[in-house]
Amino acid sequence: MIPNAPEIGKLAFIIAFWICAIFLPVWAVSWAVGVFLPMIIEGQNPGPELALVADILRTATPILSVLVFIPLNAMFMVLYERRALALFTVRMGPNRVGPDGLLQTAADAVKLLLKEDITPRGADAVIFTLAPIVFFAPSIIGILPILAAITNNHPLFAITNLPTGIFFVLASASIPLVALVMAGWSSNNKYSLVGGLRAAAQAISYEIPLVLSLVTVCLMAGTLDVVKIAQQQDGGFLNWNILGGGALRGLDAAIATALKNQDWAPVIQAFYPYGAASFVAAIVLIFCSHILLGLYLTGACAEINRIPFDLPEAESELVSGYNTEYSGMKFAIFFLAEFTNLFIVSCIATVMFFGGGDNPFPQWFLDQLPLAGIQAGLGSALSFLINDMRLVDPDTFWAAIWVIIKVYSLVFFAILIRGTLPRFRIDQLMDFGWKRLVPLSLIAFLLVVFARVLVVSHGY
Amino acid sequence: MVSDITASKPLKTEDMIINMGPQHPATHGVLRMVLTLDGERVRHAEAVIGHLHRAQEWQGQNRTWFQYQALIDRVDYLSGMFTSWAMSRAAENLEDLVVPERAEWLRVMVSEMNRISSHLLWLGTYLIDLGAMFGFPFYPFREREKLLDLFEEIAGQRMMFNYIRIGGVQRDPKPEWFSRVRAFCKEFPDRVTEYESIVTDNPIFLKRTKGIGILPLDLAMDFGVTGPTLRASGNPLDLRKTSPYSVYPKIDFQVHTLDKPEGGDTWDRYILRIREMRESTRIIEQCLDMITEGPIMGKKQIAGMRVKAGEGFSAIESPRGILGCYIISDGSDKAYRFRWRNPSFCNLAVVGELLIGHPIADIMAIFGSVDVILPDVDR
Repeated sequence: MIPNAPEIGKLAFIIAFWICAIFLPVWAVSWAVGVFLPMIIEGQNPGPELALVADILRTATPILSVLVFIPLNAMFMVLYERRALALFTVRMGPNRVGPDGLLQTAADAVKLLLKEDITPRGADAVIFTLAPIVFFAPSIIGILPILAAITNNHPLFAITNLPTGIFFVLASASIPLVALVMAGWSSNNKYSLVGGLRAAAQAISYEIPLVLSLVTVCLMAGTLDVVKIAQQQDGGFLNWNILGGGALRGLDAAIATALKNQDWAPVIQAFYPYGAASFVAAIVLIFCSHILLGLYLTGACAEINRIPFDLPEAESELVSGYNTEYSGMKFAIFFLAEFTNLFIVSCIATVMFFGGGDNPFPQWFLDQLPLAGIQAGLGSALSFLINDMRLVDPDTFWAAIWVIIKVYSLVFFAILIRGTLPRFRIDQLMDFGWKRLVPLSLIAFLLVVFARVLVVSHGY
Repeated sequence: MVSDITASKPLKTEDMIINMGPQHPATHGVLRMVLTLDGERVRHAEAVIGHLHRAQEWQGQNRTWFQYQALIDRVDYLSGMFTSWAMSRAAENLEDLVVPERAEWLRVMVSEMNRISSHLLWLGTYLIDLGAMFGFPFYPFREREKLLDLFEEIAGQRMMFNYIRIGGVQRDPKPEWFSRVRAFCKEFPDRVTEYESIVTDNPIFLKRTKGIGILPLDLAMDFGVTGPTLRASGNPLDLRKTSPYSVYPKIDFQVHTLDKPEGGDTWDRYILRIREMRESTRIIEQCLDMITEGPIMGKKQIAGMRVKAGEGFSAIESPRGILGCYIISDGSDKAYRFRWRNPSFCNLAVVGELLIGHPIADIMAIFGSVDVILPDVDR
């Protein structure tokens, strides 16, 4: 059967363990700070000062949960990547620290924290120290608007939402580039310098297709607000942006009705107002949205310096590129930020293309299942937790589950690519970016502009 | 004013001198390269060698024959069978010693297996040089591991075999060993197909290797380049065919060469090694069929072993090219003079010429494709 089934089983166990180990603390912190403490404070009939404290606690919840989340997530992703790569490459992977190597990255983190922090002779110490901070800070900020989208706009996280959310995310995602140049310049190492300059060239080139692809998705959705983009895709995978940004929205239900009534006119009236032209436009939209996803994933890989675009830290050429001279805590921060960025770009892909926290099943399929009964039963059984303690919000809970599945699947895809492809050369990378991806993204943009007009009637 | 600005001098740029190695992760050991860079382009490259110098020739003159036999695999640690074979043949030529036929068959077999394992290691590390850090490089190592197990069974060692001795080979393998080798040969071509399906037509791989580091035939001949690197440039020089030794005349095999007027690029060197691995599998299979019974050792292996006075030379085709060994013996239990002709040394010399005009990233693509082993350069 499957030759390495035990290894796959162990990997699944590691994933399950670590996802619990990440999200239970995040959940506990956000509940304690955002719900439990304000509830106690407000239960005392407080004066205005204490009420203000409760408000501050609520407002601080998103950033505190992110701060808990990021280190734990990076620890998991490193282990996940190493074990999955081992699976692809007929190896065992780390399996000594803790059961099946579960605690390997925790041990690595401790090791990195205890290491000597070296500043090389001749380095510009101030910029050298600032670089990891400038690299890491935007990833905390950039994840915030997405938080609202992936928690289904939960009241605690709704404050992180912005009307121009995706713009904000992209803007903060381009700051780390400055840090890479800073790190390369201040290290007093020629490999680092070349790495930093490569990072600048690469990020500038690949940001264009990346941004254009997301702008095109926003154009299909008609908004820059990530929460709205996620909510528009609710109701099964047919509504997701990956299938034409709503070109198929509601089609399943309409076809079911038409089959029942033997009357196709309303369907054609509603979905293909311009007849064959609308049909072609819908197909063009679906085709384009796949291209957009490809463009986005390529650009994102380049943006976060992963194979095949890891030229800034190309090990076989530049030793380790911009982070050659870093050690200990500063290196750990670079490492942390890289894996957080991988998580963020997967989150953006999930929200922009795969429906955010939406489950992939269409509504008519869910109606076949006795879900309502189960939900009501669970609701009454857990009534104390849900209503009195407000420990769980069922909508947010299910949204989070789907987001976790989708995001870590995309991360798996990134690992698969890392395990397969060699690295580009810098001039080939530039050629590929400017001569292939940028024109392709512009063409996709134009096609979507025209196609969307023809199927707009059932849009948003 | 405007004319002043436009007439101002062009931007002043300066070449950057970068010192690659000896602690660089991709220089296959301890090569140091002094590169003069114009931006990312190489203006001038100079290989500085000697970081791994262990005075192998001097050691040969200060150890008894018996002791030096055990040390000889370290000259080129990836193809120990070939180095010990070259030395043994030189001593046998000197003594006019006739090696038993079974020993010759076994020598051909194990050295062809060693050629495969050496090429496999090259394949894995070359892909690392190209930046496929984690995926593909482990697949060749899976097969190499099987070969090393086979070596361990006959020689007791996985890398430093000390198996081929002056006068024959050290040990006669058990019958099961032959069947395991046959099983390996049966499976191995499929594995090569597997590698090729991942690598050969991979668009990024093609972009990184096609037309990169073109080595014209006359340049290769000038620098004394041998082995697959030379054959990829169009010269079918392979000592196994051109001046056959051992039992190679009895074996039906083909010397692959690529006939390109402008010279071979890095992709040609890659595909040539892939073809050589298939060819070596064929040779091993024929050896398994044609091997004869009989003794395996024609000289008594004792600690005070002597080789009679005189001088002897032998050259064999190692995975990296022509490996020559020259010996002067004064009849005592030590050699009077040793001299190695190492393929990697000559092949490395040409790398500096190949690099000029290429960006930094191609340094590793080119250097890796020539398959230089640093201990073989420095001895």
